[in-house]
Amino acid sequence: MGLARLAGPTDDVIMITLTLKEQPSVPLEAEVISPDVLANLDHAAVRALPVYLGKRRLRLDEFFEVDGPGSEQIVIRGDAGKVKMIGRGMTRGSVRIKGNAGMHLGAEMKGGSIEVTGNASDWVGAEMTGGFIRIQGNAGGQVGAAYRGSLAGMNGGAILIGGTAGLEVGMRMKRGTIVVGKTVRDFAGLQMKGGTIFLLGGAEIRTGAWMFRGTIVSLLPVALLPTFSFACEYNPSFLRLYVKQLAALGVSLPNANGRWKRYTGDNSVPGKGEILIGEPEASAASATGVVSNSSGR
Amino acid sequence: MIYWGGNPAECHPRHFTKYTIMQKGKFVPNGRKGRTMVLVDIRETPSAKAADLFLQIRPGKDFEVLTILRALIKNQRVDSRIAEETGLTLEQLQNLVDRMKNARFGIIFFGMGLSMTRGKHMNSAGVLMLAAEMNAYTKFVAMPMRGHGNVTGSDMVLRWSTGYPFGVNLCRGYPRFNPGEFSTVDLLVRGDIDAALILGADPGATMPQPGIDHLARIPTIVLDPKVTHTSRLARVHITTAATGISAPGTVYRMDEIPLPLRPALKSPYPTDEEVIRRIRELVAKKPAWNETTNGELATV
Repeated sequence: MGLARLAGPTDDVIMITLTLKEQPSVPLEAEVISPDVLANLDHAAVRALPVYLGKRRLRLDEFFEVDGPGSEQIVIRGDAGKVKMIGRGMTRGSVRIKGNAGMHLGAEMKGGSIEVTGNASDWVGAEMTGGFIRIQGNAGGQVGAAYRGSLAGMNGGAILIGGTAGLEVGMRMKRGTIVVGKTVRDFAGLQMKGGTIFLLGGAEIRTGAWMFRGTIVSLLPVALLPTFSFACEYNPSFLRLYVKQLAALGVSLPNANGRWKRYTGDNSVPGKGEILIGEPEASAASATGVVSNSSGR
Repeated sequence: MIYWGGNPAECHPRHFTKYTIMQKGKFVPNGRKGRTMVLVDIRETPSAKAADLFLQIRPGKDFEVLTILRALIKNQRVDSRIAEETGLTLEQLQNLVDRMKNARFGIIFFGMGLSMTRGKHMNSAGVLMLAAEMNAYTKFVAMPMRGHGNVTGSDMVLRWSTGYPFGVNLCRGYPRFNPGEFSTVDLLVRGDIDAALILGADPGATMPQPGIDHLARIPTIVLDPKVTHTSRLARVHITTAATGISAPGTVYRMDEIPLPLRPALKSPYPTDEEVIRRIRELVAKKPAWNETTNGELATV
């Protein structure tokens, strides 16, 4: 198309800022907003990137004010709640969204990081294999999930959600970590195959339904399906490794040293998954004892 | 045969006599006496009279019951205390499992009491998984009891034309399937569409209120033989001939058998097909509109 691409690597310090002019009337599909696409483009080339409004194929600059040349560091401003597929399949760089993000944020991503100050919609990090996503507000459903008809969801990386999340969080996930700060809705860890989900604010119903393997850690009691069996009450030593890992991401796991009830299931599969439920009141009392026990081992 | 979350005695009155429990067959020479019918529902409907076994479960516990059944057929452990929250005891469920395993050919018909309550598609998935897993012991199938006219036909046509039964988006030039993202009710409730063509349906009577409000906001075109809730809030209502009465066509029965329709009456109104064809011809005459961008596009 006669649009020049910049030769050579771009300077990492330079950022590109995309400011949404106004919220589109129907969802805008903008999988081009990804560090892999923008990294080596000049300003004019970025503005000419194609985005889809319904069936119409339009230029990026019809919706966004573009500030700066192409870069691996992308900043998006404005309510992009209807902008879908931001950072899809990205492998490097960063996307920082000052506002909301639409569906499929960071879906199938392999590396890099995404941060959202507002809320995100459904399918955050669906089928991602690596990288890091942090949502300060609420997320929709199917976080880190497998797409319909697909066998496996998230296969690596981490998703941190400060607020609530919707249905089917971590559906069929295989590896990786999801942390949700507030309540998740039904079917968290549905058909989960591996990986870890931390529910810091509890869950509605049917948590861990049909799970094969994997771990769901809840700080609050959750309603269990009748196909989960109580295994034991213990202090899982691996949680202390997670404490370190999550602390680096800014998440504190309060009663990692306390007593945890372990439930296994889902027996309907039959699966070998586990749901760990923390005991807030008991944790404070027994914490020291458990720590001394484990350190003596 | 198990009816789950449906009331065929009132909603599909010919189902018992014509297809399921009454008919005599090569392997069921005694008809009704040779069959066992189980009804699972949240209330005792008139269908319960026809059933050998009626299991009343608490509302919104379908998924739990199905999950327990999946565990029981594999002799897995189930927590009896939590299981009783479903309204059934573990013995009742074990009894159902034994009956299912002893059947030579079992079928589960599931209605909208299952697929439209909390859990929705996962409740249906529960029935389908249960039927699939029962095939380790005996022949078992599952079939939905459809609620409206010819929804199976819509599923069938979309299936052979796009590969997916519903929730299909063709904006990018190829079919994409994602229920929840592209299904009608979600698109309407989120306000993600700016025009609607409603054909052979009355979403104004069944959709949640935010969806109906959005239909009233956007240009909505309705093709229907009669005045409906949707046609009242539509910008345009084109009266069409009633298919099967005054227009020919094909309907798909619930078991996906296509049935030709011969009209008994004549109608002054055009058929749905004719209206759509004429709209399509007029649209085809218009200039291509999908490349109306200002300036050049980059290739990615």
